[in-house]
Amino acid sequence: MMYVTDGWGSVYAIDVSAGTKGAIKWKFDPGIDRAWAGDVACCGVNNRGVALWKDKVISIALDGRMFAINKATGEKVWERKIADPTLGETITMAPLVVRDLAIVGPAGGEFGIRGFIDATDLNTGQQAWRTYTIPGAGEPGNDTWKDGADHWKHGGAPVWETATYDPETDTIYQGIGNAGADWDPQYRPGDNKWAASVLALNPANGAIKWGFQYTPNDPFDFDEISEHPVIDAKVNGKDRKLVVHAARNGFFYALDRTNGAFVGGKQYVDKLNWTTGLDPETGLPANYDPKAGVQVYTPGTHGMRGEPLANICPSHFGAKNWEPTAYNPTLNTLYIPSVEGCDGLETVAQKDFADQGGTVKPRERFSGGSFKMTGRLYGSLKAIDPTTGDIKAAVRLDFPNYAGALATAGNLVFLGQADGTFTAYDAKTLQQAWSFSVGTGINAPAVSYSVNGKQYIAVLAGSRQSPFVMQNDPSLKYSSTTSMLFVFGL
Amino acid sequence: MHVRFARKYPAVLALVAALCAITIGPVHAQSAEETRTIEHGKDIFKIKATCQFCHKWDASGDQGYGGNALSLRQTKLTPAQVAETVKCGRPGTGMPFHDQFAYTDKRCYGVTRTDLGNDVPPEPNAFLNSDEIDAVVKYVFAKVVGRGPSTYEECVEFWGADTRECEPMKQ
Repeated sequence: MMYVTDGWGSVYAIDVSAGTKGAIKWKFDPGIDRAWAGDVACCGVNNRGVALWKDKVISIALDGRMFAINKATGEKVWERKIADPTLGETITMAPLVVRDLAIVGPAGGEFGIRGFIDATDLNTGQQAWRTYTIPGAGEPGNDTWKDGADHWKHGGAPVWETATYDPETDTIYQGIGNAGADWDPQYRPGDNKWAASVLALNPANGAIKWGFQYTPNDPFDFDEISEHPVIDAKVNGKDRKLVVHAARNGFFYALDRTNGAFVGGKQYVDKLNWTTGLDPETGLPANYDPKAGVQVYTPGTHGMRGEPLANICPSHFGAKNWEPTAYNPTLNTLYIPSVEGCDGLETVAQKDFADQGGTVKPRERFSGGSFKMTGRLYGSLKAIDPTTGDIKAAVRLDFPNYAGALATAGNLVFLGQADGTFTAYDAKTLQQAWSFSVGTGINAPAVSYSVNGKQYIAVLAGSRQSPFVMQNDPSLKYSSTTSMLFVFGL
Repeated sequence: MHVRFARKYPAVLALVAALCAITIGPVHAQSAEETRTIEHGKDIFKIKATCQFCHKWDASGDQGYGGNALSLRQTKLTPAQVAETVKCGRPGTGMPFHDQFAYTDKRCYGVTRTDLGNDVPPEPNAFLNSDEIDAVVKYVFAKVVGRGPSTYEECVEFWGADTRECEPMKQ
């Protein structure tokens, strides 16, 4: 049985045992108030999948609810409200199940939320713990918000992609999103922890073991929510336990997953203009100034009040957004699907929230400016050595990639594109081995599974691109949307 | 970017400024056909052209992932000028053009794609024909322009009554 979702959080149980067609056995519709939840989804109606736990499917809906569903019948057993669209919070990520807990967090970095990571006890449907991604008053890191006006309470740091669990260290690694207001860093002087970071947490109680911040005082909207694979590898002859990340800011990072120490990093995106590199000791941007409240990265790459216009490479969408990398352990190669190119930013001084003496109400956008396309973006698939960041092979794609990769043991890498092209590449050379057009956009990574010893590759298709993606790729507006599962036999 | 636009296309801005002085015509009773046109315009605003993604449902303007979109509630533009903006977009900004053949000739502001270079407005979600542009302009002037801050009743009229969307406005 395969369980898939659509953007509005309906779950479909599909019997794939026949091998020739899928038969939908049940559908669970959470019954979302679409206008209410959809109006505070910054970037489209998204749902990134479900988790399985015992005899239940654990799913989420955009309006902030989690559901436990009887996996045989599709009947709801319980639901719990976790995030609140009243505050601009939504949930788009697949839950991470660790033992008897399901872990999620809210999107809403463009709506002045305060992000958190939340665990639900699956036995009871009640909250087990909640850890805010922005430390509260008196907690370590709260002093990295130096505005003196409690702007941390609306500082963003959302969570919208599934964390990684490492059973060996019993740790979850959760990527954290952008600081708010996105493009007005003068609104929030200081490093703004733990926005644009990774947090290592104890799954039993949510305690933070360590954190590593990729872009302090982020003025670009460089969410680092995307996946953090754990890899054991030799680095300079030593066995290292790594957690790695192809960051939205354009660098690949390898960290020691036991303590967060920086092991190495390297630019993987074609064009990067906001800094000259990474400090080899700390991994911080080379032009980071620890004494500065408001960071001035390469002038002209981010807006400032008085000089609001900027041009940023990689674009603010990031060198890699949410779309996951894939890892081939036999070849020790990580495959990064990327978004290449630049775009413009414009800073607009952010007004305060109503609860802090201003005029901005909950559910209103809180982004301190905007962005503007300045040229067409394109995509890449890059094969890198995750211990060095060295690029072993690369292929240029017509479209920026918002789908994500799948690596198989048969040494293929599968990748979909926004125009419906679904391609298998040779894992060593990235030469095309096979390609098929499904005729409608692919915004999801493929999965591999087997039935009765036969291997299949499945991918969901039919996405509608967001208006701002279509601005960049106007031909996509002619494609039709649908909700379709394609399965290929090897 | 507005300064750059003014420098490059002073004639366009002068025309806009001149037309701003013309006032909107007197209010009259709405015919059934006009009501249908306004409903059609609302569908275009809400769904087909997704104007509300950037301008918000009440057309009060916004920033963020929709770009820095202007308020239509406060606009001083005439219907003809709004129609031209929908048709041609605004060079140098994120406001898209909706006439499929804009900038292939000089129908928009007397300039072509080549003349504008990087300042060509983005392409839209959906192209609109002249009847559709007329409908969306009629909708905007019937429901939005000159109305002041939006109300709970307007919100319910836009989204319907079967949603919590308008609850925060209920006071």
